[in-house]
Amino acid sequence: MTAADLGRLGALERSTALKRTLLRWLLFLVLGVFALYYLAPMYVMVVTSLKSMAEIRQGNLLTLPAEINFEAWWIAWNGRGYEAGDVFLRPYFWNSVKMVVPAVIASTFLGALNGYALTKWRFKGDNVVFLLFLFGCFIPYQAILLPMARTLGVLGISNSVNGLILVHTVYGLSFTTLFFRNFFVSVPNEIVKAARIDGAGFFKIFFKVLLPISGPIIVVTVIWQFTNIWNDFLFGSSFSFGDSAPVQVALNNMVLTSTSVKQYNVDMAAAFIAGLPTLLVYILAGKYFIRGLTAGSVKG
Amino acid sequence: MATLSVANLTKSFGSTKVLREIDLDVGDGEFVVLLGPSGCGKSTLLNIIAGLETVDEGDVRIDGHIVNNVEPKDRNIAMVFQSYALYPAMTVRENILFGLKQRRASKSQMSESLERFSKMLQVDHLLDRKPAQLSGGQRQRVAMGRALVREPHIFLFDEPLSNLDAKLRVEMRQEIRKLHDRLGTTMIYVTHDQVEAMSLATRIAVMNEGIIQQIGTPLEIYDTPNCVFVADFVGAPSINLVGGKLHNGDDGWSFVADHHEEGVRVPLGGYVFTTAPEAGHGIILGIRPEHISVQKHSEQAQPFELEPTLVELTGYDQNVTFDFFGSEIVGRMPRTTKVEVGRPMPLFLDINEASLFDRATGKRI
Repeated sequence: MTAADLGRLGALERSTALKRTLLRWLLFLVLGVFALYYLAPMYVMVVTSLKSMAEIRQGNLLTLPAEINFEAWWIAWNGRGYEAGDVFLRPYFWNSVKMVVPAVIASTFLGALNGYALTKWRFKGDNVVFLLFLFGCFIPYQAILLPMARTLGVLGISNSVNGLILVHTVYGLSFTTLFFRNFFVSVPNEIVKAARIDGAGFFKIFFKVLLPISGPIIVVTVIWQFTNIWNDFLFGSSFSFGDSAPVQVALNNMVLTSTSVKQYNVDMAAAFIAGLPTLLVYILAGKYFIRGLTAGSVKG
Repeated sequence: MATLSVANLTKSFGSTKVLREIDLDVGDGEFVVLLGPSGCGKSTLLNIIAGLETVDEGDVRIDGHIVNNVEPKDRNIAMVFQSYALYPAMTVRENILFGLKQRRASKSQMSESLERFSKMLQVDHLLDRKPAQLSGGQRQRVAMGRALVREPHIFLFDEPLSNLDAKLRVEMRQEIRKLHDRLGTTMIYVTHDQVEAMSLATRIAVMNEGIIQQIGTPLEIYDTPNCVFVADFVGAPSINLVGGKLHNGDDGWSFVADHHEEGVRVPLGGYVFTTAPEAGHGIILGIRPEHISVQKHSEQAQPFELEPTLVELTGYDQNVTFDFFGSEIVGRMPRTTKVEVGRPMPLFLDINEASLFDRATGKRI
């Protein structure tokens, strides 16, 4: 190597190091800007919910509250105690919980069972069945409103939490089946063959051999289903009214149907309360979510 | 202890025929290896014997009883898989005992079997680990332990060593052999590795394209292959196959290589024909590399002057490629034999040990 070559390599070494550092900072800057952009609305919500109406009327969205005041949160949750026309979240929040928990469990469990049967117990036409499930993922909410309303009527569970559980379980089944099917495809069939020779049957293999290794995909499915069902407004508003409505419908009623002056602080607090459970689920299970989405084959 | 018999077995997946009229009889305590390239149907056959695949036509009998519709768990078999197929969520102990638990074995029987077989396979110190914490060799041992504890009448192995590295493969191969010697259980073993087949089997069934080409002891398969496919598939380096014609002269039958019409004939003095030979018939001469040597091993060995074109050292031996009248043949000789590329050397072809095949049908003649 000549002296000129060495000189050029030295220059290259310095310039690439500099370039790397600059690019790193640029990356952090861009990420920071995006983070602020996404967090800004939440900041405004929290700040506004802690202000009094008088302070809100002064008009600056971004200032911190002069004094922290949880009254709006209290009102959003418990109401003002009027005899009539007082809409608050507490009962509807529990409606939502009563709807979400069984619906998530049922749709996840059935999806797991479907995925298992479709991958490990192949039968004639199983691909067609799977295709139909896949098709189900692309059916828009609006398309099933009328048939579903009729079905709920026939079953006698319209306008009830049970009705909503059924709707969400059925609608979610396509997605949960897809998730579990794709996960179980990566599990070697030989594990199932070995278990069959060992004398385990369909359900024994499912519960003892496959479910215990399905942790990551269960988390993904639960988060997905929880978020969708909790945040659903269309089914909730179509198939329930009055006392059996879920929290999102109640939130809408609370914010849009008040005839008096808009209580921005109460609205913000209510919106925050309605969004809190999904936020919590993400914070608690978020790292498993990514892990589950990228879960590869299971080494036996 | 059990016998297995497969009669007239046919299996298709869609329009592809995977197995065509397979007949196979396995005696009590035999170690039969199903040998063949990938896609030849050997694993399908094993799965059918295990009951994991259904039968289209024909019968599978275990101890004389037709088991076509009997569930895998009721066939008194155990199977070891290529991917080990351990249950990932269970410990080694739970893995090994899973089968016994399904059969509601007594606690004392379970702990007794666990102790005995985990010691035998040297996995007794790993019982509380999960499969993910084991090395490949350990997983394979656990998989075998899981098969052994049930004390099945027939063992099925589906390429159990293919995922191991070369050294471990040899070790485990020997252990499987010892296991068979000790237990005397009927074993059926699928592999594409002819060395495994040779070293393990009491009999080998060579399969190709859904049929059993030849079945016999390892030596029968190696020494007298009944077709070109078997000759070519078994043995490493592969058998030399040279196309030519049969010639009948004053000195008896001889072989004339394609590229050398008038030239050197290879007299076939010691060869035992299985069918009546026919002069001018197109044939293939098959001769194994070790039957080409500088020493004269038998009276019928034929001397030739051949030119080495390539020398490959394999350790104790060397594989030397020669130009054999236009085609290449490989000879295997001790590395002490002096070979120089480009300088012709005197060699003997041991025709007694050669095989001749019909060129059109590929069958031995």
